Amino acid sequence: MKISFAKSALPAEGALVVGILEGGALTATAARLDEACGGTLTRAIAASRFEGKKDQSLLLVAPAGLTVSRLLLLGLGKGEKVDALAAEAFGGGAVAQLAAAGDAQMAIAVDAVEGSTLTAAALAAHVALGARLRSYRFDKYRTTEKKDEKPSVKKVAVLVDDPAAAKKLYAPLEAVADGVFLTRDLASEPANVIYPESLAEQAKALADLGLEVEVLGEKQMKKLGMGALLGVGQGSERESQLAVLRWSGAADKEAAPIAFVGKGVTFDTGGICLKPAANMEDMKWDMGGAAVVIGLMKALALRKAKVNAVGVVGLVENMPSGTAQRPGDVVTSASGQTIEVINTDAEGRLVLADALWYTQDRFKPRAIIDLATLTGAIIVSLGSHYAGLFANDDALAGQLTAAGAAVGEKLWRMPVDDPYDKQIKSEIADMKNVGEGGAGSVTAAMFLKRFIKDTPWAHLDIAGVTWAKKDGPVTPKGASAFGVRLLDRLVADQYEQK
Amino acid sequence: MGVSITFASAPSGAEALAVGVRPGLAPCATAAAGERGRLLTRALAGKHRFKGEEGDVRPVLTPDGWLVAVGLDEADDQDAAALRRIGAALFAELADSGITHLDAALDLAADEAAELAYGLVLRAWRIPQRYRLHPDPDTEWSLEAVTVVSPDPEASRRHFARLEAVAAAVAQARDLVVAPANALTPQAFADRLSDLFPLGVAVEILDAKALAKQGLNLLLAVGRGSARPPLLACLRWNGAADAEAPPIAFVGKGITFDTGGVCVKDGEDMAEMKGDMGGAATVFGLMAALARRRAKVNAVGVLAIAENMLSGRAQRPGDVVRAYNGTMVEVVDTDAEGRLVLADALAWTARTCRPAALIDLATLTGAVETALGKKRAGLFASDDALAEQLAAAGEAEEERLWRLPLTDLYDEDLKSAVADLRSCSWEDRAPDHLHAARFLQHFVPGDLPWAHLDIAGTAEAGEDEDGDEPFTGPGPTGFGIRLLDRWLAERHEE
Repeated sequence: MKISFAKSALPAEGALVVGILEGGALTATAARLDEACGGTLTRAIAASRFEGKKDQSLLLVAPAGLTVSRLLLLGLGKGEKVDALAAEAFGGGAVAQLAAAGDAQMAIAVDAVEGSTLTAAALAAHVALGARLRSYRFDKYRTTEKKDEKPSVKKVAVLVDDPAAAKKLYAPLEAVADGVFLTRDLASEPANVIYPESLAEQAKALADLGLEVEVLGEKQMKKLGMGALLGVGQGSERESQLAVLRWSGAADKEAAPIAFVGKGVTFDTGGICLKPAANMEDMKWDMGGAAVVIGLMKALALRKAKVNAVGVVGLVENMPSGTAQRPGDVVTSASGQTIEVINTDAEGRLVLADALWYTQDRFKPRAIIDLATLTGAIIVSLGSHYAGLFANDDALAGQLTAAGAAVGEKLWRMPVDDPYDKQIKSEIADMKNVGEGGAGSVTAAMFLKRFIKDTPWAHLDIAGVTWAKKDGPVTPKGASAFGVRLLDRLVADQYEQK
Repeated sequence: MGVSITFASAPSGAEALAVGVRPGLAPCATAAAGERGRLLTRALAGKHRFKGEEGDVRPVLTPDGWLVAVGLDEADDQDAAALRRIGAALFAELADSGITHLDAALDLAADEAAELAYGLVLRAWRIPQRYRLHPDPDTEWSLEAVTVVSPDPEASRRHFARLEAVAAAVAQARDLVVAPANALTPQAFADRLSDLFPLGVAVEILDAKALAKQGLNLLLAVGRGSARPPLLACLRWNGAADAEAPPIAFVGKGITFDTGGVCVKDGEDMAEMKGDMGGAATVFGLMAALARRRAKVNAVGVLAIAENMLSGRAQRPGDVVRAYNGTMVEVVDTDAEGRLVLADALAWTARTCRPAALIDLATLTGAVETALGKKRAGLFASDDALAEQLAAAGEAEEERLWRLPLTDLYDEDLKSAVADLRSCSWEDRAPDHLHAARFLQHFVPGDLPWAHLDIAGTAEAGEDEDGDEPFTGPGPTGFGIRLLDRWLAERHEE
């Protein structure tokens, strides 16, 4: 779907979307349309239950007095509540309703909204972002889908008084959307296509954008003593990988970077502690954290962010086999600390332990943030509306929470402190990889904390939000890429030179 | 109480003397005095685990009897919370040592001596022997009395009186939680409330007939399956100068036994369900504490008491019940019964007692234990200031809370196809504690500051020794009494 910006002239054909404010107040374009067609809009609104509330809509097909094929009246809600998120939801709503309606092109008219703190151009940019994000579709493996089931809209024009300004504001947002799409693609791909080496290849392909990408294989990781990560991958035929992506966009290329670490279990059978068959296919997206880190690095490079950033992803496949690790095995991590593997299905933290240690050791980052589809407990703890945030630093936690609220990727802080530490004491090693006594997400975070030095650190447990079970305002059902927009926002707000 | 405490200006000459030692094995004055200092230095020298840190307790046999070295940590860190923990550790270590009477001469200030004693008595609780014919010799305690040495015994006694009131209430609440369900039936629970009469607490009981008349149908529905009818108890303590001032209200879930009802639990999960009245026990204990220490506050405690049994009369999944506030509720899982009894109790309390703030406690969901384990209770609040105050009081008392989302985002999960609201979702891995909290919010007036504490994980401490809370062995904790007592004292007492 191609998105462009144009002057607010009314289109002659295709679908047209206009906003209506709560209470039925027509936006400027809607008023012009109403006049042009002799009051059709006013009559239609009066004859329906449509009141312009957020998420309400009214579709007029072949409206009298107009040449467009379809006119969609979409509720904007109250003017003072029209912010970036509302604009994105508006753009997303337009695409959700019209993408497969039959038209090849659609236009979305964006007017200045009284009460909103954003200009019409800024609203237009966010409407465009919402439309783009909502248009995502992973259909490469559908070979027999009928034409009328596929999206018809090829072009979306966002109509606004100052298209040049809107286009400029949209450029960095489009970069983020490109990152989001890469992340969604990677998480959607099945595990016979995306495995450690092929995922590392995907990371390498980003070198074209100016990222430096290195990939470590098992031999190099063995030298570095990454026994925790390697233990997880040893059951698989596929070789484990560690990919390092660097973006040096700050004026001082040597300045300490911000680091992002992602869990990349390309498929998680659970290992010898095999998962039940029901829903095991979901485990193709157990590399969701790594996919976010890769998509984020792409977004930063595309928008030439003025920041030094490092992305590290630990890539393994967790398979049961004659070479797989067993419950009770003791492994030595790169930090030197030993771990008793009680449950081979608590493998994500083993991968992260070595990736986190390596990242701190090598890059001495200003802050380190990891993302992982880590625990089932976080799904019970917070449901699918929040990701779990664990942090050793209140300021970082506050910044992340604010960034999440700004982009609609909500975080909820969870505890990671001493009262829980005893739960991962092992009888034989320095720690064990699962805790007793509930709080499974907290004890997982406590485990990771043991691999953090003095660096400000945050851990995002995204197991409940990585795969959307239902359509959201800007996220179709499926891979959400939760975290890309949030971390891009964090970088922009807190770590980039202005 | 498990151990009797006296304060004196000098050791009483008991068979054992506890003295304070700071890190680096620096003895306090009493510990260093005369021959004692030499003995102690010799005994603690070498490769002992005793470092003089908080929680270290080492009895040493000397020609003069037992000398017990007690680690005190650095003087700067010696706050009330640390002294309580030290007192608790001292009791835990000596309970079955053979010592019956201890002099504790730790060179503490008067109020510090009282805090140490508070820790001792909080830890000195165990399951009452009344359920045995023969006392279990393996669990018999020797330590009966502790004389705590204080520079001003009278000042220590005054300070301790307030703490002792709370400790006694905590012990009462724990007694209730361990009481078997054939001993603590709904009616027996109601009868126990008369213990509070002599303290000046007014007790009103709504029996099943009164509940029906007033329309507390959710509470009745939960109790339907049992031969023992449900009831609602309302305890009032008016300690404020203005007895008419709006009270602070506390509501407790009091399911004296929870089989799960028709949606019956499996056997393994059911064993602990005599403790499903932990919230009500805490509210009872809190009211007892307030009355004992003559707290200058108006408080109301409401206990929603029922037994959740399965029988031919029991409610069924799919039943629709009209709640006290008029909301029509579809009962989904009969084992999600706590929120039903609380819903009516909360709405009744808000309407009848007109409180200034409302706080409920309940062993409500397994999900909260999945989220926070046994180290923190889930805190849900409609009011940020209230949430912060409670969380701070919890940290200070080591009854820790963690705030969790109370939001309309989960309303979709509580939509019923037939009624206004359904009681829970059947979805696998649903955030049931968040659903429950949001469900309850429908029964609390929007402008009333309200907090809900889900204490399912914290009402009982774990079996694992390492998992023990400082003031509890494995078993009931009385969670919430100390925290709420502190909160009231700090925020609402004149």
